[in-house]
Amino acid sequence: MFMKAIILFFQIIFTTAAFSQTRIEGKVQDETGAPIIGANIFIKDSYDGTSSSADGSFSFITDEKGTHILLATFVGYKPIEQQVELSGQPIKLIILLKEEINQLDGVVISAGSFTAGEEKRRTILKAVDIATTAGATADIAGALNTLPGTQKVGESGRLFVRGGDGSETRTFIDGMVVLDAYGPSAPNTPSRGRFLPFMFKGTSFSTGGYSAEYGQALSSALVLNSKDIAEMNQTDIGIISVGADVAHTQAWQRSSLSAKVGYTDLRPYFGLINQEIDWITPPVSFESSGAYRQKVGKDGIMKFYGNFNSTSFSQNIHAIENPSDKFQYDLTNRYGYGNGSYQQSLNYNWSVRGGVSWSYNKNEVMLAGKPLEDLEKGIHAKLVFENTLSDQIEIRFGGERIDRFYSAAQFNETANEMESVSFTEPLTVAFAEAEYFASNHFVVKAGARIEHNGLNSQTGVDPRLSLAYKPGKRGQFSLAYGTFRQSAQNQYTRVNTQVSSERADHLILNYQIVTDRKTFRVETYYKKYADLVKFENGNTNRLTNSGSGYAKGVELFWRDNETLRNVDYWVSYSFLDTERDYLYYPTSAVPTFASRHNFSVVYKHFVKEIKSQLGFTYSYSSGRTYFNPNKTTSEFLSDKTPSYQDLSANIAYLPKNNLIIYASCTNLLAGCSAFSFSGCVYHHFKK
Amino acid sequence: MKTITFFFALFIAGTSWASDDKYYEQMAKQINAVYTAKSMEEYQSAVNALDRIAAAEKTKWEPYYYSAFGNIMKMNLEQEAVKKDSYLDLALAAIEKGRAIAPAESELVALEGFVHMMRVTVDPASRGQQYSGLAMQTFGKALGMNPNNPRALMLMSQMQFGTARFFNQAPTEACESAKSALALFESVPPTENKLAPVWGKQMAQSLVKNCN
Repeated sequence: MFMKAIILFFQIIFTTAAFSQTRIEGKVQDETGAPIIGANIFIKDSYDGTSSSADGSFSFITDEKGTHILLATFVGYKPIEQQVELSGQPIKLIILLKEEINQLDGVVISAGSFTAGEEKRRTILKAVDIATTAGATADIAGALNTLPGTQKVGESGRLFVRGGDGSETRTFIDGMVVLDAYGPSAPNTPSRGRFLPFMFKGTSFSTGGYSAEYGQALSSALVLNSKDIAEMNQTDIGIISVGADVAHTQAWQRSSLSAKVGYTDLRPYFGLINQEIDWITPPVSFESSGAYRQKVGKDGIMKFYGNFNSTSFSQNIHAIENPSDKFQYDLTNRYGYGNGSYQQSLNYNWSVRGGVSWSYNKNEVMLAGKPLEDLEKGIHAKLVFENTLSDQIEIRFGGERIDRFYSAAQFNETANEMESVSFTEPLTVAFAEAEYFASNHFVVKAGARIEHNGLNSQTGVDPRLSLAYKPGKRGQFSLAYGTFRQSAQNQYTRVNTQVSSERADHLILNYQIVTDRKTFRVETYYKKYADLVKFENGNTNRLTNSGSGYAKGVELFWRDNETLRNVDYWVSYSFLDTERDYLYYPTSAVPTFASRHNFSVVYKHFVKEIKSQLGFTYSYSSGRTYFNPNKTTSEFLSDKTPSYQDLSANIAYLPKNNLIIYASCTNLLAGCSAFSFSGCVYHHFKK
Repeated sequence: MKTITFFFALFIAGTSWASDDKYYEQMAKQINAVYTAKSMEEYQSAVNALDRIAAAEKTKWEPYYYSAFGNIMKMNLEQEAVKKDSYLDLALAAIEKGRAIAPAESELVALEGFVHMMRVTVDPASRGQQYSGLAMQTFGKALGMNPNNPRALMLMSQMQFGTARFFNQAPTEACESAKSALALFESVPPTENKLAPVWGKQMAQSLVKNCN
């Protein structure tokens, strides 16, 4: 009897259990009604669930009872939660999943910008490309000079963008401004960037229309993002034909420290190859840099970076009119740059980042026995707040302050003493920007920057706007507009501290199509210059802001890493039409640094048999204008130099693990006017 | 009455065992599904089931491990680079969740090394140097946590083979690792964890075959 009761009891339990099973079935679709295959549909906190099949349909049975939450998830889509009543009654559902916005292959603003890095996105350049481009010899500016929008100005080594001169491109490291980003160079010899490409995980090179966060650059912003905490210990030893360097990185659980020291002595190199420069003492430089990264709390990261360099050289400069007429030029440059930045999320959707940077650059020159000196010091502080209001709207606002001190001194023979002029320019800036992703096909970004210059007491507002539309899976259109301002160069501000900032307006239209291994891009732009510094009646001591100018052009870029086996190449072409009326110009004319046509091809071929990567870079620039004193005013800058061509080659040979030998040669067509060779040994220490 | 109380006590205990049994039974089924999957759909369905178990259990590292493993396998079937990376990202996210539960588990670290190794294959030219170093270091770390982890050693051997082949060197180091890995596969007794990973022996055997 008792046993029977128990059996009955169990029968009841089991039958109710059987009855309370609920079948849930339906379909998972995206917003267009297309089925989603492989979505995960399940009752939260239970094992019960299934995957959607090839037609998006699903069906499963659950033993759970009562009110529960049904979850549907699929990669690239927002998960959906829905309350369900599990009572044994079958449930039929159509589940609509919305695409997540801002995906890896979603729309991005591309007008005026080239990004390298963020390796999981399809980017036009990879970080490693900068190091392995022939003719660039691991110089960031050298590699970027193979992209459209730049003009080759061989004797400078700087980035000249879209009819702008070299000073119109500004470098930023982790968002912080860098003053004097190029090393010192003798007159008519190219200078090199002070920062090595290997330090950075990402490079964003903007040829115009950039974000409201960046200012004080009329033409271009080069934004370098330094690497995060190093994950492994590594020692690199570089032995180059003209010096050596040693770098070591030590990684800990939550921090890492890297340090590098290097010594370069170009004396043997100039002894080997006659470079048509009358050196007395070729450049000798000592450089050290260090970086420290520390994680703070759950997701905060603190970065410190410092770079110190001292370079000196001495040469004879020959007058163009009479080459036997020469005078001695000695230069000693001391440079220091340090920056610290911090980034941290405040809560789910707010985050804050900020930093301080410090630059110091001093040149001591002896020109024909007379001393000259100039010094620039700057401190930049910045604080930015970012809020992700939703996955579609992001806002960003912040403030910055740049204090810049400049002084120049020269020897006054009548007074028999050094006389100097100097100024301090405080800039106070606020900026705000909002980015709205309407879908994975359309994004718009609008912002403005307000800047007060304490030296000339002027305030300016610069609006910025950009948008991008990606109609299909690959190709996209992008447009950017903005106004940009930059303080007049030091040599003019020191003459007249009341001179206004120079201004430029950019309008850019871009189309690009990027696949895994091929990129095509075409861009057209119009840039208008205003308030450029001009000498009144040619008098260099009377400055006005009445100068003006324009630049317009079309640029093409093609990269293919697929068609030919083990070959990666890219081709750039830029057409530039520009004129300006500024400084001493009697009339509007094409400036001396602008060339109408620029064309370059970069070719890299990995040859497995010899374990080497061979690289070639060919560049062509049409002739540039030059000043001919024998011509009349109406023929001002009407003469043109011959076109410029360069073919550079490099080889990276990997004979064994942990050893790379590089050799490179620039200007092959003229018989290798510059040649460098370097070996690099790096070693991974196993933990 | 006493009997009934006893019976109920047994029943309640039974349900808690049953929940553990259910975990083992479901895990065994899905692990088998991951090991035997051939198509994208089969992998996805197993990964989904493992993700459901992981979300429901909250304190078990094994579902995260096999979900990550399934995503690595899926990546192998994918053609498009962006998608390959997105599967590796999912794998890494699952491994990190697993490591938050079992920080001392050498298998999770070995699998992380596997993810770095697969990153190289997406774009060897631009990623080789960074990720192959990272993969080797991670395998070393896994072996530091458990010197008898045959999978860490087998994967390390695979990296060493790649390096030797690239530099046209004799794969001496790689063969040593492969042989020790195979010896570990054959000698190390199964752990008391019935769900512990067992894959990799065949790979070790085929690596050793290259050595003669």
